[in-house]
Amino acid sequence: MKPVDFELHRPATTDEAIALLAEHAAEAKVLAGGQSLLPLLNFRLARPDHLIDLGRIAGLAQLRRTQDELVVGAMVRQAQAERSPAVAAHAPLLAAAFPNIAHPPIRNRGTVGGSLAHADPAAELPAVARALDAVFVAAGPRGRREITSRDFFRANLMTDLEADELLVEIRFSRAAPHTGADFQEVGRRRGDFALVGAAAQVTVDDGLLSDVRICLTGVAQTPHRAVEAEDLLTGHAPDPALLARAADAIRDTIDPSGDLHATAGYRRDVAGVLMTRAVTGAHRRATETAAEAA
Amino acid sequence: MTEPTEQDAAPRPETPYRWVSKPGRIREDRRFVTGQGRYVADITPPGTLHVGLVTSPYAHARITGVDASEALALDGVVAVLTGAELAKDTDPLRQYLAVPEVQWRPLAAEETRYAGEWVAAVVAESRAVAEDGAERVFVDYETLPAVLDPEVAAQPGAPLVHPDHGTNVMAHREFRWGDVDGDLAQAAGTSRVRSRWNRNSTVPLETFGVVAAWDRGRDLLDVWASIQMPQFPEQLAHALRIPTNQVRVHFDVDVGGSYGVKRGIKHGVLAGYLSRMLDAPVKLIEDRAENMHGGDFHGPDRIFDVELAYTAEGIFTSIRIDVIDDEGAYPGRSPLQLAKPIGAIVGPYRIPSAAYNATAVVTNKTGQVAVRGFGQAPTNYAIEAAVDAVARDLGIDRVELRRRNFIQPEEFPYRIPSGTEYDSGDYPAVLDKAIALADLAALEARRDELRAEGRLAGIGVATCLEPGGGNAIFENIMNPANDKTTFPEACRLRVDGDGEITAIISISSAGQSHDTMVSTLVGEELGRDPETIAVIRADSLTGMPSQSPVGSRMTIVLGQAIRGAADELKAKVRAIAAHNLGATPEEVGYEGGDVVVRSDPARRLGWRDIVAIAHRKQHLMPPRTQPGLEVVHVAHTPRSGGLAQPDGTVQLYPCYSFEAHVVLAVIDPGTGAIDLDRYYIAHDCGTVINPDVVRGMVYGGTAHGIGVALYEQFAYSPEGQPLTQSFMDYLLPSAHEVPQIADTEHCTPSPFTSLGQKGAGEAGYMGAPAAVAGAVNDALTAQGAAPIHALPIKPSDVWSALRAAGNEERGGK
Repeated sequence: MKPVDFELHRPATTDEAIALLAEHAAEAKVLAGGQSLLPLLNFRLARPDHLIDLGRIAGLAQLRRTQDELVVGAMVRQAQAERSPAVAAHAPLLAAAFPNIAHPPIRNRGTVGGSLAHADPAAELPAVARALDAVFVAAGPRGRREITSRDFFRANLMTDLEADELLVEIRFSRAAPHTGADFQEVGRRRGDFALVGAAAQVTVDDGLLSDVRICLTGVAQTPHRAVEAEDLLTGHAPDPALLARAADAIRDTIDPSGDLHATAGYRRDVAGVLMTRAVTGAHRRATETAAEAA
Repeated sequence: MTEPTEQDAAPRPETPYRWVSKPGRIREDRRFVTGQGRYVADITPPGTLHVGLVTSPYAHARITGVDASEALALDGVVAVLTGAELAKDTDPLRQYLAVPEVQWRPLAAEETRYAGEWVAAVVAESRAVAEDGAERVFVDYETLPAVLDPEVAAQPGAPLVHPDHGTNVMAHREFRWGDVDGDLAQAAGTSRVRSRWNRNSTVPLETFGVVAAWDRGRDLLDVWASIQMPQFPEQLAHALRIPTNQVRVHFDVDVGGSYGVKRGIKHGVLAGYLSRMLDAPVKLIEDRAENMHGGDFHGPDRIFDVELAYTAEGIFTSIRIDVIDDEGAYPGRSPLQLAKPIGAIVGPYRIPSAAYNATAVVTNKTGQVAVRGFGQAPTNYAIEAAVDAVARDLGIDRVELRRRNFIQPEEFPYRIPSGTEYDSGDYPAVLDKAIALADLAALEARRDELRAEGRLAGIGVATCLEPGGGNAIFENIMNPANDKTTFPEACRLRVDGDGEITAIISISSAGQSHDTMVSTLVGEELGRDPETIAVIRADSLTGMPSQSPVGSRMTIVLGQAIRGAADELKAKVRAIAAHNLGATPEEVGYEGGDVVVRSDPARRLGWRDIVAIAHRKQHLMPPRTQPGLEVVHVAHTPRSGGLAQPDGTVQLYPCYSFEAHVVLAVIDPGTGAIDLDRYYIAHDCGTVINPDVVRGMVYGGTAHGIGVALYEQFAYSPEGQPLTQSFMDYLLPSAHEVPQIADTEHCTPSPFTSLGQKGAGEAGYMGAPAAVAGAVNDALTAQGAAPIHALPIKPSDVWSALRAAGNEERGGK
């Protein structure tokens, strides 16, 4: 469990990092917290000749608000975002997801961008980004471009980023008033990669659900946006019968696989259970927010 | 995880002891918590070379060629050793069964028999370069049919792991004790449970490691190793074909966890051979993958069929246990783990007859080794699962059923049908203490409230015996040619010229706090403050006979040696003093180091004066007395010495500890996730030496047992690929998964040990699996679902059981 010999680069600016990436492209890996990459290096499953550590680029670790958006720099530590009032206020689903990510020491090192660029479909943040239609900003030798979350996640551990592109920030639309979120997952142990998980964010409008966003982890090669369930629920109150129909719609549309830790049938069924809980929780919070505002 | 229970606040019972059973500093803890432990990885003699391993990707394959040229061309690679080369110069590792065709070697020579088996070793100037080299050794394989399922492996026509042996069945023994047929005929009914104890182990933070340094000028192989292994030095010498007095194993090395698994004989032989071959110190520290795949350290992997017969009143009349154990590819010592449970084959119950049919088979998996309790934990789980089944079948309360069948306190010593006499115990009292601690009525009310709220909840109750004072007579049961009947421990006590006391033992410790135990017992025996007593570990050439701390034996057997050494030392002190006091040794008494004439206490001689005479004043010594104050005492295991009868009856272990577990599990009906809400234990290991050490053993063992019940499994694909490649998949319970545990002690001293002590390291692991599974099954059966009898129980198993019973919860809480 010693990594293959590699050269470590520690650029101080994004431009330097992009230049290094352009130079080494296919032979390089980007280190952005290391909570997944370092074990992969030690198992020799990743064998880059060059490791580009983004840890010294202060500009990538900023979290800011614009008129319409919450902009999270790729190197914002998960723990930093978890404690951010801005995240809680403007991206409640992102805030709800963090406590489910592994354990505090891992969130202290792990970054938002690192987890998203790693694109593990069992992870929490990709599901959140997909649910919220986050916009991914990539920078490379050809300049900057924006990638929708629908396009960003290509397959298991594969994104739309080119080998010479760097994920620099992720933009989330600021949540409307009366919006609530919940993240539900089940694992063998606390902190493990979830067997299956459900992210939900809803806005409550006159007691009815609007802007329903649901995304599942662990049931497909990429985060699974449950559009059928969203459509069923939008414009209605989340009563049990409707939620049951939405859960069945999910069960009918996903095709998870089984492994040592859980069968495919378990994941399929429990995805519906967790979606129901997540939507119920999100609705409750949205209602509470509305009550507080009133 | 734990906080003081009410028992802590209560005054401790008065003991006749000055230091024993009282809270005392655990002297090892300071060095461990301050990072001052000295482990084998910390030992790097100048010029040390490092080993990396080439491992088999196939579960079963013939090796047709090895090309190491690219590895040898790498800068920093010193040598590559293949299995065929090693086999030419060494003997195979020891088999305890009579299976001469089974050739277990550190590196596979002709065939690899499991994925992960070591095929070649690369020696380099650093571990990283050794791994680079290992990637550049190219091995040609011709794959062979593999067998993974132990029941399939036992059938004729199955692919053979060792074709020359002719069968995968390495041992099959059928035992019948008592009137099995008559007792079955009398029975009103029987309950049968088929249960599956899947492959788990103790998985220490520290993997196995060894440093071997051959000194050509002195003809001496120095070895530092992370071991807990009887006869390690001898087996190393035999395999290397060098005299046993040329191997010096250093025991003054901290072992970072073991509970049985740190055997490391193949690691030691490989490092020793390489050191002699290269004339340099050689270090082999397994990484986690090597450890998990090829460390040959997995634990029992068993399928049980248990039939428990009973009268209409729920009195047990007979038990039959059929077990098949998957040893992995090389049986080694592991099949003996089928024999140890013979010493507690009826558990704590009064069952007049028993049948036991035990089968050991090999499969294409990494080898099994001794794990905490040496086979007793799975057996206890199988027995307790059957007891719960009887309670369900008869509609009798589980606690009441156990009470009706317990061996009663006045019946000890109690001979069980298989020949062992249990030394002492008060099972009803201990169970009562657990129930009182748990406030069972309140716990049941809490369970019922949870159920009313729509959750699944269940209470588990289990008891277990912990046989303590391990001897090796199971070797004789499973292989009559092996007539070893003693398994001794020894202690050297030396009092130096200043009167300071040093106790010398010849074993390494793996977290059992032996320094604390030895200093406390020596202090108690000699009436000297334990804080002042040094504990030192001799190496294997300067030390005394020792078998290592297996089978919960050190407080018992080493305790016996300490008693013997202290008695001899005190006799000499008395003789010297009596000579100078003008009295006979019989007329004087020993009082905490001073010697007093009993009839005239004013006539006395102090410790320092006696020490001075012994070391420096020949003119004051009694005639024919050796100078100095130094004794060695080697003790047999209590009650050992007899050979097994042809029907397997024998006194197995001398001491039997007892533990009762009560646990409340809460299950999420939507996801099947299991949460242990409350955990209570009552424990009796006779006289406690250090209460905090015992408590640590109880908690740690219980955490381990919770792991077995819910999390831990070494799994394989049908093709024989290991599915548990790291701690992402082999799931150890963390502080999140282990609930707060409340515990209380009971004390039934053993009549066969120096101060009434018994063993304490294993009970948690023996009781928790049955208790936790029992709690889950209480929750499931309340929903009309079938109980689960395969460990670990996963959320998806619970979900499947609920679905099968038509319980489909959609969403909700």
